Amino acid sequence: MKRIAVALLGVIVAAALPPRSNAQAGTPIPTPGLAASHVDSEGRLVEDWGALGIRLAGDGVHMGPAGVSAGDVAPGVPGVRIVRDGGAVTLDATVFRAPVWPSGLDILTVRLASKSDRDVPVRLTVELPASARVGKRLVSLGGRAIVGLPERPAPVRELREWGHWDEAADLPGWARPEGECDPAFRNIRAGLGGVPIAYRFAVEPGGAANVFLGFCESHWRAAGQRPVVCQVEGAPLQEIDPIARWGVHKPGAVLFAARDVNGDGRLDVAVLPKPGSPDVNPILNVIWLFPPGAAPSAEAVVSGRLNAVATRVVDVGGPGDQALEAAGRLQYDLVVAKSGTELTLLVACPGATVESPSRSAWTPETLRAAAARVMADWSAVASR
Amino acid sequence: MGHVNQCHGCLSRRQCLQYITSAAIVATAAGREVAGAAPSPRERSADFIDPASLRPTPKVRVAAALLRMPTPYWLGWPGTTFDLDKHTKHVASQIERSRRTLGIDIELAEKPIEDEAGMSALVQRVARSRPDALLVVLQHMGCWGWVERLANECGTPLLVMSPIGTSFTGHVIGISRRPGVYVVSSLEWSAVEDGLRMVRAKRMFEESRILWIHNNQRNETVLDRLGTRVRQIPRDTFNEWFAREPVSEEVKDVAADMRRHAKRIVEPTMEDTLNCARAYTTAKKLLAAEKANALSMDCLGMVGARLVPTPPCGAWTLLQDHGITAGCEADLFGATSLMLTSYLLGRPGYMNDPVAETAKNLLIAAHCTSGTRLWGFDKSPAPYIMRDHSESSLGVSMQVLWPVGEPVTLVRFSHAGEVIVDTGKLVSNVPTPPAGGCRTSVEIRMDDVEDARDVLGFHQVVTLGNHRRLVRSFCQLYGINPIHSPERAPHAEGVA
Repeated sequence: MKRIAVALLGVIVAAALPPRSNAQAGTPIPTPGLAASHVDSEGRLVEDWGALGIRLAGDGVHMGPAGVSAGDVAPGVPGVRIVRDGGAVTLDATVFRAPVWPSGLDILTVRLASKSDRDVPVRLTVELPASARVGKRLVSLGGRAIVGLPERPAPVRELREWGHWDEAADLPGWARPEGECDPAFRNIRAGLGGVPIAYRFAVEPGGAANVFLGFCESHWRAAGQRPVVCQVEGAPLQEIDPIARWGVHKPGAVLFAARDVNGDGRLDVAVLPKPGSPDVNPILNVIWLFPPGAAPSAEAVVSGRLNAVATRVVDVGGPGDQALEAAGRLQYDLVVAKSGTELTLLVACPGATVESPSRSAWTPETLRAAAARVMADWSAVASR
Repeated sequence: MGHVNQCHGCLSRRQCLQYITSAAIVATAAGREVAGAAPSPRERSADFIDPASLRPTPKVRVAAALLRMPTPYWLGWPGTTFDLDKHTKHVASQIERSRRTLGIDIELAEKPIEDEAGMSALVQRVARSRPDALLVVLQHMGCWGWVERLANECGTPLLVMSPIGTSFTGHVIGISRRPGVYVVSSLEWSAVEDGLRMVRAKRMFEESRILWIHNNQRNETVLDRLGTRVRQIPRDTFNEWFAREPVSEEVKDVAADMRRHAKRIVEPTMEDTLNCARAYTTAKKLLAAEKANALSMDCLGMVGARLVPTPPCGAWTLLQDHGITAGCEADLFGATSLMLTSYLLGRPGYMNDPVAETAKNLLIAAHCTSGTRLWGFDKSPAPYIMRDHSESSLGVSMQVLWPVGEPVTLVRFSHAGEVIVDTGKLVSNVPTPPAGGCRTSVEIRMDDVEDARDVLGFHQVVTLGNHRRLVRSFCQLYGINPIHSPERAPHAEGVA
């Protein structure tokens, strides 16, 4: 492992390479009339949001030059192939445009195979723009989901002390809180489409905390429109309807006596839509963590006067918020056998956003089949 | 004609008889096109396109097997008196009948499966042949473990027929609600046929291409879950084709039929009607040229820009009556919702603009493109009044008179993974004027929704009959989330 680590230090370029203009010459990915993207001469997939590259590191692993060529990547599926000599392994990647309504997705499949009978440990880094945020199954950039991750293999999770761990979106400045309150109430994260808002906080294994969740509803004027369910580890579930409790634009906070029940050294906090609620998009404005024991009053917490004694204050969706995972770094530790191993990423092409895998039924097989069906007669109609 | 007898209060007996007569004439004319009897002058035309040819006709393959315990039976349900041989023959004959009537290829395993080895062979057979669904018919209560195994392992939608005597509530309570599974605990084979219709409908979605006529691009994509291809073509394509469309014999014939069978003609002139028929023949040609089976067009944008002399409303009614989805305003999921009623329920509907009638707490569903064959494509049509498109006072739009007192279902794909489904009862047809809005306009008293203002969705498709359970079952079989409008006004709950 030590040698691998040395190799990693030597080979991995910490920052992602800067994106290049779409206008730059490259090998275009055939599409059925959708906005084009291409693979550049270094084997990077170039989209309207930036570039995605693959880098390998490990004992005996190095990165040879990329061979980029156009051709069928599966029966009836035109695309681009990227081949690299990786020293002890070979890298054979393909990319094709899946015609997913409405804008399509680029499907990047990376296949690694050991050149010998020896299993080769490899660290695969997916190079992304530095500000990309890696979530559970999605990587987002400025609120846009740009990469969908497979369930397996699982990436190496380099976790921070705390952060969000969800597929929700930042909406800074969304709320208009009235009265004396912490300015963090102005910002929210929203679980658009009904996805939960989820945070994790490092604590001593089995540790406890007083957690306050702060809400300020500035869209609905009537109660009952956006009730949410709050799940804080170790505390009973609570349903919160901010309008019913505090009114429109009125900030408020609710206390939860949290405890790390599963002893993993993390406190899980989540806000979900109440089943059947008319507005399924949960929101959350602020999180406070205070030491366990006697809890402060909610009014004092909401005012922001106790921030100095809080162990953590999270301006949810604001400038100080962060993802649990380190930004811009998506890595996999793989053991590559001669028979090979495969990783498939769903990549947002121009104009597209990757849908949460939990809401989509697409699989690599059905995406390939869809591409083959559409492309089969596309050339005949493209010229009309 | 049973539906006519159920028509309470909306028509006099004399009116009813008039409609029956005119409906029969229309039905005969339409039936000729579908059934391929002696061709009419319109059909003899070289460029005549039979609308039936535009409807998708996918090959649908269903594997089937009987599951039972080793014989002879002794105690335990269905019991020693259950006549296995007779039941086996009965199932075989029902399957044969369904195969013929539904046009589905159902392959029944030669021998009933009665042990683990047979089960493994069945799982392998399904994996190998990849049918569109697997149908199993139970002949013993002890087979439910195998059903569970099939649900886990067969990787294809599973239809389970459990004749009375082969299950208790406990057997079906869980698995009958599981995604990918449809369970019938009944003696009614028609319920099995509902399941087969779901499989066929899904295949029709998969084989369909929607022509999405809007904007100025040409591309093709595929809808998640449904597998339907969406071919976007520039909006101007329709105007250009329409401008070239002649007043052919078919156009004259269609226009004459429309006017002849109308209960009343209010605004449209003969020229309007000819233009409406030209829009119909143009749409057929465009669909055929693009190998498409349904369309959705930015019609309001075209009318607003005065690109066509007529909105396509009347033409869309004609297409809908032939089972060809024709959607308005380039609303793609409005179109897929119309396809759902067409493919699953065998009848047209219309996507509507929902209005709350607060004085009577009713929902008014209004649009200008209702089909007339409300009881089914092979059934007699509802009466209609020829009107213009109310917003522009151009062209032809049918005010279809829906049968008061009958149940209706509202369905709407919010997206490919979610369908809103609600039901209600027709209260009245709303005349315009005095009301504004669209020509076909009906009042509905909603079931299970306390306040009509809370009905979910926009451009929900209204279709005749209560199909709530069937639509829910379809959704369950294909991993689509069915939701309903809230029973109680949401704002009344939890007010501080």
